[in-house]
Amino acid sequence: MDDDALRREIAEKLKSGLKTEVWPRAETSEQVNEVVARLQSEAGDNLEKKLVIAGFTDHVIEADGIEQPCETCMYYKVHARFCELPELMLPVEPDWSCRLWRI
Amino acid sequence: MANLLWLQGGACSGNTMSFLNAEEPSACDLVTDFGINVLWQPSLGLELGDEVKAIVEKCISGEIKLDIFVFEGTVINAPNGTGEWNRFCGRPMKDWVKELSAAADFVVAIGDCATWGGIPATAPNPSDSEGLQFLKREKGGALGAGFTAKSGLPVINIPGCPAHPDWVTQILVAVATGRAGDLTLDEFQRPRTFFSSFTQTGCTRNMHFAYKVSTTAFGQRKGCLFYDLGCRGPMTHSPCNRILWNRHSSKTRAGMPCLGCTEPEFPFYDLAPGTVFKTQTMMGVPKDMPEGVDKKGYIKLTAAAKGAAPAWAEEDIFVV
Repeated sequence: MDDDALRREIAEKLKSGLKTEVWPRAETSEQVNEVVARLQSEAGDNLEKKLVIAGFTDHVIEADGIEQPCETCMYYKVHARFCELPELMLPVEPDWSCRLWRI
Repeated sequence: MANLLWLQGGACSGNTMSFLNAEEPSACDLVTDFGINVLWQPSLGLELGDEVKAIVEKCISGEIKLDIFVFEGTVINAPNGTGEWNRFCGRPMKDWVKELSAAADFVVAIGDCATWGGIPATAPNPSDSEGLQFLKREKGGALGAGFTAKSGLPVINIPGCPAHPDWVTQILVAVATGRAGDLTLDEFQRPRTFFSSFTQTGCTRNMHFAYKVSTTAFGQRKGCLFYDLGCRGPMTHSPCNRILWNRHSSKTRAGMPCLGCTEPEFPFYDLAPGTVFKTQTMMGVPKDMPEGVDKKGYIKLTAAAKGAAPAWAEEDIFVV
């Protein structure tokens, strides 16, 4: 599946109400490591589990007074509209969000 | 002719190995071109046992003028402040260090262990190690905060794990040739000529830092190592990308994050699991900012720069 098709599929899942673990956000580095470890051990290549564990949303989440859109995340490739976190590696939209956001 | 004595305390010999790789000038140049007489060095000295002890005792008594005392490794105080865990020539090394430092015109600490304790002084610091005049950021160390050598200078700290060989030989040449007055030291007694700029200064990945493009896994040629892989280049004082290692490379040029080894806190976060090669964050924002940058400004700059990043910045690109 190409990136555009996969991006559409993800958008559809989020729009149709897929419950993801948006909260709590991964506040500390230890919590980040826990979420990443779950992605490695529980999600593997399973798309829905990736979305759920990472806490994907199709809108921007604000936490601790900071907006956390994919657009400003260090794992986001602007021109490819792609999340390059090794455990995710998914096409995304700039105004989506997840709890592994980092700037 | 300047007499130099080099001893090792709680050390791995890494700084000696580094020193022997010096090129500008080389260790041999120190002797042949700059008039340094190496009285004894652990890897170079021919004397053993009582012969070494005699040299050291003559330095302390003044029978041999000690111009430069170089120390590598920590000063070990365990057990119970005795220093018996590190004996040399029949007595604790810490006792030799104090007496030699008092006798020397210049005292030079080479490497993190001798400067501020380094890895051996990492909590829980079982060997009760400290540097010559610092323990991490705290001034004092084995010689005390007020110590000055006969020249009037405090311990000259050349940190690093190891220190770059040419930092060592160039400072030794400056001291041996009467140009110590040209040295200015920073708050941690590091020569400013080497430690005013940052590891990031001259880093070939700077364009990725500017456009906020991250290296997200080892082996990638694109991206800055600061954002995700824990690189400390933007807040570490060193000339590692100005005076290259082996004359042609550096950690960051080879894709290896700077570990901040010229700073007193090294190793950072006491090497706790998950802290090495991983940028530490709080709610997604780095805990340790590039020096002089505040959180608010960092977030604004990042959002703007990322939006302006050209496509090529996101692709693998040769940066060496």
